[in-house]
Amino acid sequence: MSRFFVLTLLTFLGKACFAQSAAVDASGREIRPPAKVERVYAAGPPASLLVFAIAPDKLTGWTRAMRPNEVEFFPERYANLPELGRLTGRGNTANVEMVLNAKTGLIVDVGSTGPTLASLASQVQEQTRIPYALFDGSIESTPATLRALGRLMGNEAPAEKLAAWYERELGDLKQRVSRAKEHPLVYYGRSASGLQTGGKGSINVEALEVLGARNAAAEARAGLVTVSFEQVLLWNPEVILTTDPNFWKSVWTDSRWRAVSAVEQNRVYLSPHLPFGWFDFPPGANRLLGLWWAGKLLYPQVFDVDLRAKVTEFHRLFYHREPTAAQLDALLGEPGVLPK
Amino acid sequence: MLQIDQLAFGFPGRTIGRDVSFSLAAGEAMCVLGPNGGGKTTLFRTILGLLEPHGGSIALDGVALGSLSRSEVARRIGYVPQGHSAYFAFTVLDFVLMGRTAHLGVFSVPGRKDRELAARVLESLGIGHLSHRPVTQISGGERQLALVARALAQEPGLLVLDEPTASLDFGNQVRVLEKILALAAGGISILFATHDPDHAFLASQRVLLLAEGRALEVGAPTEVIRPDSLQRLYGVSVEVLPLAGGRHTCLPALR
Amino acid sequence: MTSRSISYVVAAGALVALTALAFAVGRYPVSLSEIVSLLASKITGSVNTLPPNVETVVMQVRGPRVLAALVVGAALAAAGTAYQGMFRNPLVSPDILGVSTGAALGAVLAIFLSLNVISIQLFAFGGGLAAVGLVYWIGSRLRGHDPLLALVLTGVVIGTLLGSVIALLKYLADPYNQLPAITYWLLGSLAAIAPRDLAAAAPLALAGLAPMLLLRWRMNLLALPDDEARALGVDTRRLRALIVAAATLMTAAAVAVSGIIGWVGLLIPHAARLLVGPDFGRLLPLAMLLGAAFLLGVDTLCRTLVTIEIPPGVLTALIGTPAFLWLFALARRSW
Repeated sequence: MSRFFVLTLLTFLGKACFAQSAAVDASGREIRPPAKVERVYAAGPPASLLVFAIAPDKLTGWTRAMRPNEVEFFPERYANLPELGRLTGRGNTANVEMVLNAKTGLIVDVGSTGPTLASLASQVQEQTRIPYALFDGSIESTPATLRALGRLMGNEAPAEKLAAWYERELGDLKQRVSRAKEHPLVYYGRSASGLQTGGKGSINVEALEVLGARNAAAEARAGLVTVSFEQVLLWNPEVILTTDPNFWKSVWTDSRWRAVSAVEQNRVYLSPHLPFGWFDFPPGANRLLGLWWAGKLLYPQVFDVDLRAKVTEFHRLFYHREPTAAQLDALLGEPGVLPK
Repeated sequence: MLQIDQLAFGFPGRTIGRDVSFSLAAGEAMCVLGPNGGGKTTLFRTILGLLEPHGGSIALDGVALGSLSRSEVARRIGYVPQGHSAYFAFTVLDFVLMGRTAHLGVFSVPGRKDRELAARVLESLGIGHLSHRPVTQISGGERQLALVARALAQEPGLLVLDEPTASLDFGNQVRVLEKILALAAGGISILFATHDPDHAFLASQRVLLLAEGRALEVGAPTEVIRPDSLQRLYGVSVEVLPLAGGRHTCLPALR
Repeated sequence: MTSRSISYVVAAGALVALTALAFAVGRYPVSLSEIVSLLASKITGSVNTLPPNVETVVMQVRGPRVLAALVVGAALAAAGTAYQGMFRNPLVSPDILGVSTGAALGAVLAIFLSLNVISIQLFAFGGGLAAVGLVYWIGSRLRGHDPLLALVLTGVVIGTLLGSVIALLKYLADPYNQLPAITYWLLGSLAAIAPRDLAAAAPLALAGLAPMLLLRWRMNLLALPDDEARALGVDTRRLRALIVAAATLMTAAAVAVSGIIGWVGLLIPHAARLLVGPDFGRLLPLAMLLGAAFLLGVDTLCRTLVTIEIPPGVLTALIGTPAFLWLFALARRSW
């Protein structure tokens, strides 16, 4: 009897030591991570963000080295992690050997989970013998992604904390949106000319769609498109959001843009971009800040929130460093971010 | 009209001829005889100012060639090159009008006077009926005549023709030689290169034998064209036969 | 002769009609009577009672865009015509010496550095001039070669080099933000044309056009072998340098405001030559009329077919490729 008990115990322990039970990632592929995941390679910025938030010590490096103006938002020992490049299907710059060199136990990417990327992930997995997990990068699935990632990494507790917080935030947002009486027409203008935008279903305007905003370019196909100025004038948006400071600056002096309602009403806003952009890119969990920001701009009555408090809390949870008052001033005080 | 003195000529970095001296008076026709690769074309290009002389001097009407601008040279010397593959379908008239360029201002376009002159030149060569035909659609002989017409449109004092009868049928060859005689009689100096010694007898008053870049002999055809000089030039034996009326002809003595 | 005159009349007529049509159509609905009354009030200086948006659309958006299409189309066609004559080759486009690639590099660099629209245009313009300057400087130093061949080979080599630098910049660019902007610039577009773009590009194009028009007779002599042209009194080296400078100025100005639009400079000179022959004095005006009309037609389609903009380079290629093959088959041995 005791032998049987010992054998069972040993088998149980043995299984626990060698491998966790296989999980299925968001692309439907089976992932078998090692029992203890020490190091995680994040293949793109949205993945870096989540891995860093859950367990910063496990992150092997950033896909792109931090710029000086981004470094100050992170604890120093993490800001200077090595640059490892991207391995995410959108123009890879990572050297696969470098990934191996970093003693990675798990490769993670957050974003699209379609067949092309799934096959790329499988290919890298075979090459390196390191499990490569893909997760959904949409805003609404961030809590689920956090939980699944936490399970895979072996850091369920912190992941759960973040996921639950994120869920509450999303719920709060949605609730306020439902109370909003007016939904203004919004145009999102990218690039220096402001004539690039995202059509309905485009990942670039996902934040707008979560906010239930009326995208001026909704009739355009999903994805990034260029429109003519006449088209913008025809839509005549009431609010313009942009991520390009050059465009924001030029809109006030350009004789053509002056005719657009949003410019007349002084409702053209520039999204903050440090340390990760708030709106549109990188398309990760960082867009939560963009949701609060855009919500405040679009539905000021129901979004009577303290943006500074929101930013502070997000940075504390996801970047592990609270911004100073001066940093907040710089972020929110940049011309164009908030109404005067 | 043309004075060449101890001329050395060749390409940048490579001299292929030297010690060439001769002079050409108005209305004189000189024939340059010589084997392939002997330097005829290079000599002509140097005389036209297209290549820098390597030594000696070239003078046109007493003026050093080097001191003249491209347009000034073009107003005095007309060039009829050997053969011409046409790329573009200019009409024969437009083609000949190109010869008027040296007489036009930099920003000018040929006017009525230029067109009339070009038409006259075409008529005098017997190809006036081809005026509106594209250059690419006329025969080789007609094109050669068009080239002559273009050179004549320059109203030059000296005409330089590089093997003008090459690839022409016999009839056209005769016509070209007749034209050369007529032009010389009209006061234009002619310098032409040929392979055929008979052409020298028929159409020139002076002959220059050019081999390996050296002027072997210069003089009247009957003086210069002899069996031994041609043997030296071409390495073949010929007979020079007198004909009725003081004319001569040259016949190869085949083995 | 008369058939030639007919070509001009038809081309000019088509251009006028197309321009009127282009003014009348667009995403923003403006009626013909509104346009007419607006233009009339502008000419006479009187006040109009039209809604302000109509004035914005016609005078600030559509008007400059239509005129820019005309200027860019004419400039590219003129440059192509000059180069096809100068290089004696029907496969030559204005980019043979690298002006478009150089301009592209300038613009891509400016986008990479997150500069504003005016800087992007200046970088593009400067890049185009610098690329050709470099090609010409190197090409003219290659002694012992046919000068045209030296230019063409240098142009190809430098163009390839610049192209690889562009590829490198695309690789290093931020994939979410800069790369899409770079891609769109390289596809070409007249969507962002502002009145000041036209005010800058038109005089430059005109400055490049002037030497070509003035020297139109001498341009014909460039079709002859170099020796013959020089013997006819033309300083071919200087003439070529001048024409290259003029064509580069025009093309760089056009590309700076419109991005890369292909086929106009290659196809239009051909079509024009088939209609009126190779005499540059007759060819150039027709090529410009046709080029302006072609690009205006294409751009009008690009901005009216669907909600979003179609890159003009796509349409010019779709129309241009079969048209070019058809024209080439039509032409007899010569061109």
